[in-house]
Amino acid sequence: MTKDRSRAITRSKWFLPLFSVALGLVILTVSWLGGQLATGAISFGVLAVFGLLVLLAGRSETIRGLRGDGRDERFARIDLQATAVTGLVLLVALIVAWLVATARGQSGSPYDWLLAIGGLGYLLAVAWFRWRG
Amino acid sequence: MKNKVRTLRIQKDLAQGQLAEAMGVSRQTINSIEKERYTPSLPLALALARFFGVTVEEMFDDQGS
Repeated sequence: MTKDRSRAITRSKWFLPLFSVALGLVILTVSWLGGQLATGAISFGVLAVFGLLVLLAGRSETIRGLRGDGRDERFARIDLQATAVTGLVLLVALIVAWLVATARGQSGSPYDWLLAIGGLGYLLAVAWFRWRG
Repeated sequence: MKNKVRTLRIQKDLAQGQLAEAMGVSRQTINSIEKERYTPSLPLALALARFFGVTVEEMFDDQGS
């Protein structure tokens, strides 16, 4: 898939609503396989309603940016910054959870694994983007 | 970054939305550039300069920001 084609897809107003529904279907399937059909159905319903609301929401910049059809270079930067902040929040939460678990005499799992994956992912991303120039 | 986007846009009698449409960005992005809250990418800066028929240096002032 070319970069332009993938950009056209993510900048469609249908991107986030369809992504929400697709994610809901995956959760529904996994929950069904795990014998928790009711939980899966609720999750699917929540995600489907969210997708519908986003699709039918107004034309504010934030909504259009989140939805996809209002994305330009400035919103892409906002998205990148928001993603970085989200990553930092998750990292701090995992470190705190690991410290608390360790202080309680627990193994610290799965926080240690998640932190390791996060750290490795960051290093690989740095190497990749540095290599690409 | 200080710039003359607003001045040039008004000279051309264009609304922010019209300039935004011509540049393929949102009206809010044009507004942010004019208010010097957002520094556009090099491709957008070049497109703006080309659109107004000036150089990037004439449009943006990196010394004054």
